This record gives sequence, C-alpha cells and structure tokens, in this order.
Amino acid sequence: MADTPEAIKKSVRTYLFVGAILFIGTITTVLVATVPALDVGAHGFDKWDCILGLSIATIKASLVAFIFMHLNHEKKAVYWLFASGLCMVCSLAGLTALALGDPIFDKFFYSGH
Amino acid sequence: MEIPYVVTPRKDTGLFNSKIAIWLFLASEVMLFGGFFSAYVFLRLGADFPWPERTLPVLPGLINTFVLIGSSVTVVFAWASLKLRDWRKFQIFMGITVFCALIFMVLKGVEYNVKLHHQALRLKDYSVIEGHLGYETEDDKPVLDHKGNKIEENLINVETSKLTFNTVRFHKPWVEELLTQAEHRHSKIVLTADVSAITREGQAAEVIAKAGEPLSIELLNRIQKTHLAARSHNGVIRTAALRDEWKKAKAANPDKRGWQIADGVNIDMAVVTPQLLSEISTVAFTVDPSAHFDFHPRDIKPAATQSRLRDDTVIDGKLLDSPMVFHHVDAIDFQHLAMKAEEKGIDPEVAIENSWLIKNSPFAKQAWEWHQGEVAKLKAQLLKDYGADKDGKAIRFPTHKELYRIGWKDFAEKAEDEGRAKLAPADAFKEEFFGPNYEARGDETFPGFSVPREQVGFESKFTPAWNPYYAIYFTITGLHGLHVIGGALVLAYYLFFGRKMYLSNPEWLANRVEIGGLFWHFVDLVWIFVFPILYLM
Repeated sequence: MADTPEAIKKSVRTYLFVGAILFIGTITTVLVATVPALDVGAHGFDKWDCILGLSIATIKASLVAFIFMHLNHEKKAVYWLFASGLCMVCSLAGLTALALGDPIFDKFFYSGH
Repeated sequence: MEIPYVVTPRKDTGLFNSKIAIWLFLASEVMLFGGFFSAYVFLRLGADFPWPERTLPVLPGLINTFVLIGSSVTVVFAWASLKLRDWRKFQIFMGITVFCALIFMVLKGVEYNVKLHHQALRLKDYSVIEGHLGYETEDDKPVLDHKGNKIEENLINVETSKLTFNTVRFHKPWVEELLTQAEHRHSKIVLTADVSAITREGQAAEVIAKAGEPLSIELLNRIQKTHLAARSHNGVIRTAALRDEWKKAKAANPDKRGWQIADGVNIDMAVVTPQLLSEISTVAFTVDPSAHFDFHPRDIKPAATQSRLRDDTVIDGKLLDSPMVFHHVDAIDFQHLAMKAEEKGIDPEVAIENSWLIKNSPFAKQAWEWHQGEVAKLKAQLLKDYGADKDGKAIRFPTHKELYRIGWKDFAEKAEDEGRAKLAPADAFKEEFFGPNYEARGDETFPGFSVPREQVGFESKFTPAWNPYYAIYFTITGLHGLHVIGGALVLAYYLFFGRKMYLSNPEWLANRVEIGGLFWHFVDLVWIFVFPILYLM
C-alpha cells in the first residue's frame, strides 16, 4: 500500500492513467455496440458482441479492483474474503446454467400444445 | 473507551478492523449482485417473448458511466489528499464526488420517470403499440379525480345500476372511490333492502340496516362485524355438533377405522340450525339513478352485464365502450407477432399484413409500408458493404428488431422524409433523455389512436409488470441506485462533518475515507457491468 507521501504522489499519476483507460474503454464499448462498421460477428447483437462487451467490462472492473481498490498489493485476508465471494457467485451462475437444462425451457411446455 | 485497531493494523490480519469489515461486506455484495446478474441471464435465455434488445437510451447511461468513473478517480484523490494532510484538496475532490452522485441520481430519476409514464399495449394478436394516453377533458380542461390527478383515458366504463359488496373482502379505498364518483355523477348508492339478522342465539331476526340507507364504510363495517361474529359463533356450534356425532359413530363402530365411518358422520342440521346466527356474506346496494362509473383495468374483470372487481364486488350494469385512447403513438412493434407467426410456420410479413392494426389504422399501414422500404434499403446496403456467401445469400442481414419494429426515431425519420421540419439540435438532444417531443414534432408524426377494449391483450406502463426485462432492469438499477445514495451519504458525512476528526486524528479519518472509497469503487464496478448488459446488449 502506498503509505509514504512520495509513494502516494506517485500513485496519483497511476490513478489518472487508469481513469483515462476507463473512459476510453467505455467509449469503445459504446462504439462497438452502436457503429455498424465496428460491429463484430453478425449484424446486430450476437454472442461475439456479448463476449467483446463483457471482456471490456471485465478489464475495466479489474482495473478498478486492482488499482483503485488496491487489490494489487493487499493483505492475504482481503484476497481470501473477496475470492470466497467470487467463488460463491461462480457457483451460483453454474447452478443457473444447470437450470437451463430444466424441461420448462422445452418448447413443449411453453408453446401451449 | 478507545476502539482498538481503527488506525493501527492488527498483527494477525495486518489490517485495521474496519477494512476487514468492508471487505466482508463487499464479498456479500458481490454475491448479491452476482445473483441478480444470474437471474438476468436466466430470464433472457428463457424469454418466450422478443427480448427488448438495446432498448434503453444510451446517452444518459453513457453520461452516468462517465460520472461514476470520474467520481471513482476523485474519491481516490480525496483519500490521497488526506494522506498528504491537505484538507482543502480533500474538500474539493470529495465535493466533486458527491456532486457526481447527485448527477447520477438525477439522470436515473429522469430515466425512470420517462419509463413510468410511457404506455405499452399488446393487442390480442401480439402487435404492440407504445405511446402516451390521453386524458379526459371538459371545456378543454383536464378532468381531475377526487385526489386531484388527471383522469387517464384508459378506464373501463360501466353504466352501473347495482353494487354487491363482499362484506369481508371489500376494499375500503375502492368504496370511497365509488362514493366520490357517485357524487360526481349526481347519483346515490343506497341499500337495496333491509338487512336483518339473528344476532343472538334463539332470538328473532332484527333489522341492522334499513333499505335506503346510504353506502358508507361505517355501514359496511357494521355489517361485517355482525357477519364475523355470526361466523365465529356458528363455527363453534358446528364443531361441537360434529364432535358429538363423531363420538357416537366411534362408540357404535368400535372395530372400524376413522376413514371407514367418516361418510356416515353428518351433523343433523335440523337440530343445529335454530342455534345458528345469521351470516351476511354479501350486501347489495342500488345506484339511483344508475350512473356511469370508471374502473381501472387492473381492478376489474369486465363482462357485458355483470362485472366483478378484484375485491369480489359485483357490478351490475351495461359495459360501455371503453377504448384505450392514445393521444400519441410513438412506436409500433410487430416483433412478438412475427415470433408467434414463425412458431406456427406462418410468414411473418403475411401475419403483419393481416394484423388488426394494419387493417384498422391507415397510419400504421402507411408507416409499415414506409418501414418496408427502409428495410429494403438496409438489406441492399448490407449486401453492398459485406457481400454474399457462395450460395448468393447476404452475409449480413437486418436484425429481428430492424425488420419488425418501427420506433419513435423511425417515425421522426419518416416525418422528415415526408418534408416535415427537422428539430433544432438542442431539442433533438433533449429527446435523447426525455423521449420523443410530441409538441415540436406534431400530431402528424405521432398521431393519436383509439383501441377498442376487446382488442386489448395486455397493457401496462413500462414498469416491471410489462415484461421480465423491465422487472430485472428496475431491480438491478434500483438496487444500484440505493447503493449510490447510501455511498454518497457516507462520503458527504466525511466531507461536512470530518473536520473535527481531521484536526484530532487525521489518520483515522483517512482510514474512514478509504473504507467509504472502497464501497464507492464497488458501486462503480457494478455499474461497469450494468451499463453494457442493460443498455447495449
């Protein structure tokens, strides 16, 4: 953790730089979603737009977590806490994915036959 | 008493206590929002309706993203200023952060407000109309209800002659509403016949309310009280009688099981009836003279001669024409109709040509024809730009939304094509936040339209009721908004009340700001996912 005045002054430049990357990342996300020439995959929204959009968002979120929230140099306890939260979320998302195999998603059930 | 480890770190964790606490809290927050994002994926993949893709206005969302990112930078600067013992700079950066939170909430408020006042209607054939409803007017002035609200032209009208209330379930505000409407229409609601009841065991019936007594909550309460007392009394009598019968049956058939004798155990009503009190489950009132009453569609199940409210009030009277009157239609959406047609193997274009809307609205027909021309142009452009595969099929083709939805921007473009004036850039910019400007663009661009009630399939404002997309949109953004408010309040507290602590123990304040800042970064981190998922996908 940047605790000495010199280290803090130095990290201020990093914060500004990260802020600029976050702005650029946001603009990129909007451009690839709205400008047809920058559209990836098929015309309009498809899985490639989803992957690209979420990848940019993940990079941005990681920058916020690692730089602004100082996760790049934290104590072990913090990593354990945060990682356990993330693991729970991943399990939850996994369980949701399992639910997609549920017969209620079968056409037979929702098409009124 | 001094609180330990708020400034200095604990030896075992290497952290001051509040930092452990905030990370524990953030871990739980990750799970909370993660759960909602999972729900979003589940709803989207399982949707049996066209998911509203890229439907929210991007500009306010984009500005809010910039605002949050900016505030994330300023909050970390505020913390750094405290570490460097520069109170003035801390005030400036924290002030900007709190101001950013304010801008965020104002923009969110505008976005919500537009949604909550925008009407959607799905016809029975699954065509969708969007726009704004009209209001009842008299001498060009809007008619107000007893609460001072303008009366929207989306009500079910019944020429009411009789009202029968369920004495237990009647909903007080609706009774009050009926009384107000009766007064407004110069009519009276009075008890149709004497209500008489046996209120004491073994005594004769007595009149508890006389015919002609006007409807009031007090009267209904009085009847309800008699009814509930009777029910309670009768319950005790019936149970005791049944218990006696059961004992007798058991004694007569000692070797049989309960279920084998159950059929033969019945109360002798001739013996029990004289002990019972009168239950009054419904009470009828006459509307004199019969009057035209309005009901909110969500409250009533309409029928030709006898309708019913959700609180079981029966309304006798002729159902009148109750069209939904749009003063301005700003979108026509055939996506759902096309989806249903495709499921049945019907050509969507044919289904649309035969839809009720195209057959009954010259404007919709004209707009659809214009739209088909635009789609043809788009197809040609995509073919020109991206070419065709070896079978001669275009590599890129219009989306379902482009094919079957005519949104307000399309209406505006159509009007401009037809030679109507363009909006000034400032007005056009405003539309990005507040939606279409009906006054400036005129009735020709966004015309009025009246939909007969029998064509209405489902109608709602753009609220969670409209479809699961709006349900999850309001849930996630609402929860995020509450976090913004909570975070901003904490940061504002440090800004306005932190001076004393700064002078006595600046390191403690710096630690507090770091904790508040961590939460604020998390709020930003969540928005980084919310924005592309809800606004751009």
